[in-house]
Amino acid sequence: MERLNLSLPLPCLKVNRDGRIVSYSALAEDHFDLSKAHIRSLVDEGSISKLGRISSESGPVPVKMELNMKTKKNPLVLFDVYLQWDTENRATMMFVQKDRSNEELIEKLASIQIRLASTDFELLEKKDELEQVLRRMDELSGPFIPLSDTLCMIPLFGDITADKINAISDSCLQSVFRGNYEAILFDLTAVGEVHADGIDKFIMLVKTLNFMTGNVIKLIGIKPNLAKELNHHHLDHWVQFNHSLKEELSTYLHH
Amino acid sequence: MTHIEMLASCLLEGDPDKAWACIEKYSGSSKPDVYHNLMTPAMRHIGHLWESNEITVADEHLATATCDFILSKLSFGSEKKPSAGRAMFLCLDGEQHYLGLKMVDSLFREHGWDTRYFGPSLPLEYAVQTAEAWKPDVIGLSVSMVYHLPQLREYAEAFSRLPEKPAVLLGGRLADLYDLRPYCTGDTVILRDLPETETWIRHHVMGGQQSGTTEPIPSSPVFES
Ligand code: B12
Repeated sequence: MERLNLSLPLPCLKVNRDGRIVSYSALAEDHFDLSKAHIRSLVDEGSISKLGRISSESGPVPVKMELNMKTKKNPLVLFDVYLQWDTENRATMMFVQKDRSNEELIEKLASIQIRLASTDFELLEKKDELEQVLRRMDELSGPFIPLSDTLCMIPLFGDITADKINAISDSCLQSVFRGNYEAILFDLTAVGEVHADGIDKFIMLVKTLNFMTGNVIKLIGIKPNLAKELNHHHLDHWVQFNHSLKEELSTYLHH
Repeated sequence: MTHIEMLASCLLEGDPDKAWACIEKYSGSSKPDVYHNLMTPAMRHIGHLWESNEITVADEHLATATCDFILSKLSFGSEKKPSAGRAMFLCLDGEQHYLGLKMVDSLFREHGWDTRYFGPSLPLEYAVQTAEAWKPDVIGLSVSMVYHLPQLREYAEAFSRLPEKPAVLLGGRLADLYDLRPYCTGDTVILRDLPETETWIRHHVMGGQQSGTTEPIPSSPVFES
């Protein structure tokens, strides 16, 4: 391996058919670690077969190709490589590092993509927060109130939705089982709109309570829109309707 | 021209509408099928064109951006199902090859998972912080460049120290080419491609013990649906 005496403005190598480096320019020595004296040791493994194929297919006409090279500073750098065979079966190779301006553009593109992805995340996080708040609101819309040792009341506020009934069911069932109540009141005075799936869940809750405690469940404060919905469900056996809160309180608190 | 070559050329033109039309014409029915049998081979074909000196890395960038757009469009609006679990997906620090990871993220969402997709190059420190706070059941890692392999062990070890013991899945171009076991921990699950990944997801739902490519995995039934 000998050093070329020409002063060349680019790194330059001469390589034989086996890939052995026969000579190199000053800049080639600056850029690359030439200790192995073989072109293979300078080319990234993903670029080796490309170099092999393109160089073996080419002749005295120069070819240009992109290759990823290992430099002294960086294990992977993209180069434009110019290659030409001479009559002595040696390839002259010149190396031009890819323009940085390209890279800047590419980095900008990447940062825009990352921003898009993170905006997405922020939205997702906000959505998670909102869902938690909504759930909390649902839980607070059906508080459990023990009025005496034998009487408890659950007033429902707002629309009857499946989510809301799901949110209150757990704590409601637990509280009822923990006590020894003879009657359970649902106060529906503050109920707004009624969703069909909400009613289904509500009836299920009421049935569960009735089944587990054997108690009569009393629904008070039923408005006409709710009455219509409930009518479809034939609840008469195990639910009492529409006494006023006052009546109920006087029955259970004064005996 | 095959369908794969056709898609590759639409991607290289940077024409998302044409690429979208090409995908719609493809007879494969499910998203996993499109990812595995059309989009992945199209990107690999683009790699082949580069190796044949027909295109440049700049062309690959354009194709990547177009492919990314198509992927987002394909995976947008998957219906929200009850969550099968939580999974986060990331590439090793410095790794920019994220398209495969994005497909895997989409696949998990298709199966009803709650996912966080971090895309390219996520530093280990940040990955661990997120995992501690969000407590995923699965952490998926992608690696495509040989040069990034030495970091892999560090990531795998840090994840296996997490108190919740998430399953650590490893995939990416190299998983299909080399035996990556020496580069990760004993409990890392190595998955070579999307059908293997889908099989893993199905087993996971059924609560089975799994070990990735160390055992032969039957071919997936899912790619027909
Ligand atoms: C497109 C591409 C790019 C795109 C990036 C695409 C992207 N954002 O993903 C761009 C142009 C940005 C790029 C850049 C570079 N690239 Co590039 N790139 C490719 C190319 C052509 C295709 C990769 C691809 O998209 N495949 C399709 C995807 C879908 O397949 P996949 O990643 O394998 O994923 C599948 C499975 O593996 C699995 N999977 C993936 N991840 C995971 C994760 C989990 C958890 C699971 C379960 C499964 C799983 O599911 C996927 C779906 O099928 C390959 C060539 C090739 N043959 O692969 C080169 C290639 C990978 N690149 C290479 C190189 C060298 C580079 C650059 C250094 C070039 C340069 N000098 O600029 C940079 C480095 C960037 C970096 N630091 O990471 C080399 C790597 C060689 C090596 N030694 O390792 C390759 C092999 C080309 C080559 N022959 O030299 N590249």
